Amino acid sequence: MLNTFMKRTLCAAVAFGLGTLAVAEEGKAGLTLDKPAKIAMLYISPRNDGGWTQAFDEARQKLEAELDTKIQYVESVPENASSIRPAVDRLVQRGANVIIGTAFGYSDTFKELADKYPDVAFLNGSGTTNSHNLESFYGRTYESQYLCGMAAGAASKTGKLGFVAANPFGQVNWTINAFALGAQQINPDATVTVVYTGAWNDPVKERAAAMALIDSGVDVLGQHVDSPTPQIVAQERGVHGTGHHRDMSEFAPDATVCSSVWVWDRFLAPELKKISAGNWVPPEHGALLSMAEGGTDAACCGPAVSEADKAKIMAAREELLKGEKKIYAGPLLDRDGTERIAAGEVMADAELWQMDWFVKGVTTQQ
Amino acid sequence: MDMIANWLGNTPDFAVPFALAALGLILTERAGVLALGAEGLMLVGALAGIGAQLAYGTPGVSLLLAMAAASVVSLLFALMVIVLRINQVIAGLALVFFCQGLTGLLGTLLEWTNKPVRGLGAIELWPLSELPLIGKVFVQNPLVFLTPLIFLAVVWLLTRTTTGLRLRAVGENPQAADAAGISVLGYRLVAILAGSALIGLAGGYISVLSTKLWIADMTGGRGWIAVALVIFARWSPWKALAGALLFGCIEALIPQLAAAGIRLPQYFVLMTPYAVTLAVMIWVASGKQVSGSQPGALGVPFIREERR
Repeated sequence: MLNTFMKRTLCAAVAFGLGTLAVAEEGKAGLTLDKPAKIAMLYISPRNDGGWTQAFDEARQKLEAELDTKIQYVESVPENASSIRPAVDRLVQRGANVIIGTAFGYSDTFKELADKYPDVAFLNGSGTTNSHNLESFYGRTYESQYLCGMAAGAASKTGKLGFVAANPFGQVNWTINAFALGAQQINPDATVTVVYTGAWNDPVKERAAAMALIDSGVDVLGQHVDSPTPQIVAQERGVHGTGHHRDMSEFAPDATVCSSVWVWDRFLAPELKKISAGNWVPPEHGALLSMAEGGTDAACCGPAVSEADKAKIMAAREELLKGEKKIYAGPLLDRDGTERIAAGEVMADAELWQMDWFVKGVTTQQ
Repeated sequence: MDMIANWLGNTPDFAVPFALAALGLILTERAGVLALGAEGLMLVGALAGIGAQLAYGTPGVSLLLAMAAASVVSLLFALMVIVLRINQVIAGLALVFFCQGLTGLLGTLLEWTNKPVRGLGAIELWPLSELPLIGKVFVQNPLVFLTPLIFLAVVWLLTRTTTGLRLRAVGENPQAADAAGISVLGYRLVAILAGSALIGLAGGYISVLSTKLWIADMTGGRGWIAVALVIFARWSPWKALAGALLFGCIEALIPQLAAAGIRLPQYFVLMTPYAVTLAVMIWVASGKQVSGSQPGALGVPFIREERR
């Protein structure tokens, strides 16, 4: 899991940064399936991992109901070609013509398989490769984390927030900055202290990080790590927190005030319908999904957030859904006072993936 | 000041799993069996502990079952290295991969993943817990206070009893031990089972008392660090305990530094425990080798009457 996410992120940054991995072939007609869609999914982890993969499995169940079809799935397919290839070969032999992957590490093999099976549609969550029958997708998690930041700001009495993060990559840093910006909407003086654990799924390190933050006076803990440990610690210590991946109030009903959740079915359902309709042309650089497009959403709010603040959060959510609000829009200064986004501009995706600066009020070890 | 108190208070939680796993390894390796499977057996202990905790909710029972589960799985390792005399390095590595797969599968099938459990409350060693600065070191769960006693018991067993003498003889010179009428394979089997129980306890500590939930591969390489600790302690339990404390100190310090907002390069900080291990190993290796060094027959399968 650790390597998975790390590699996923690094390469996502590279791919989106350069943006030259896949060039749509002009004038070529889109993909049309020769038979009714038969969908299959490849999971990187067990289906009930409590986070990333479970969110995909929940989406699968909703898709089955919505599209009135059976979706096969294969669990725990590691990120190496010798494991991915036979799984996909077998699925295609059994008649699957839409394959959905769930890992960064599938990117290269999926590209190769997409060339091998030009009549099969491939989709890959957090992948980086794209071609005429392969589309990679990921969510703009900073939108939902911004809303969680607002909830955290509302739940905090001290204005001192903490954040347990995995690794200092663009895709993690954008959630931290958004969390801080959201909190400062409610409490302009809110600060966010970040502890990176250096691992995506290490409950021992996450617990230590959460304890250290609470010991230092923090009373709401945000997180961008895979396990619910920070929420559980918040519950034990009688403070609050915000979750990631799935609604973590399941683990910490008193503590969790908001969670950034994946809602893949909102993207996959229309996309799969498009594929079934025929003449499907995937976007050249894959899909980086906003909340409106169905990447993430915020599960909000716990009882520690007042009705007035909740109304503010819901209003911000509406604005994000309508596309009226952009989180990374200028003018935006970093904590050292350098202008990162000029007035009237919106940050480009390539720059988002490379984000290595922090907004005012964020304390990190970097 | 608060930061230092919190840091010292969190140290035992990190140090105890390293210490118990290293002690289990020493017990096994003193009998001449090279045990590289600690990472896997810790996972078995961690999963069994959580399973028992979910079922019965009694931490004492859960920890005992964690020990038992690791021992049972180690029978497989014993079969490979004692009966079949497979290369111990390969058998140890195979055991790790087997346990990783087994625990991942069982954790999923039994739906024990990500289910929080209640651990054990802290007890205070009054009046030590009232001391300034180091008071929090004496507010810990009971197993932390038991750990030094477990060390005492194992050291006493190894150095003060006939059983311990025989076990060490089996590890130093199995041919001589055999000639003296000691059952080499019997002692090795018992050493594997007992050592594995301690390693399972280390795993159970992590899942039942520390994180209070199970996630696949949650030991995160801590078993390998225990293997390194044993080498750096030159198979001496007390030095291994000191090493575990040193390692725990550094691991506990990392999040405290970050939470205090002290600016240091991230990856340098995360690297320090490993860098310190390397440095200490080099320092130990370059010094004069004293007693308690590597067992003479470590990693060598025993075949009676075999000429060397």
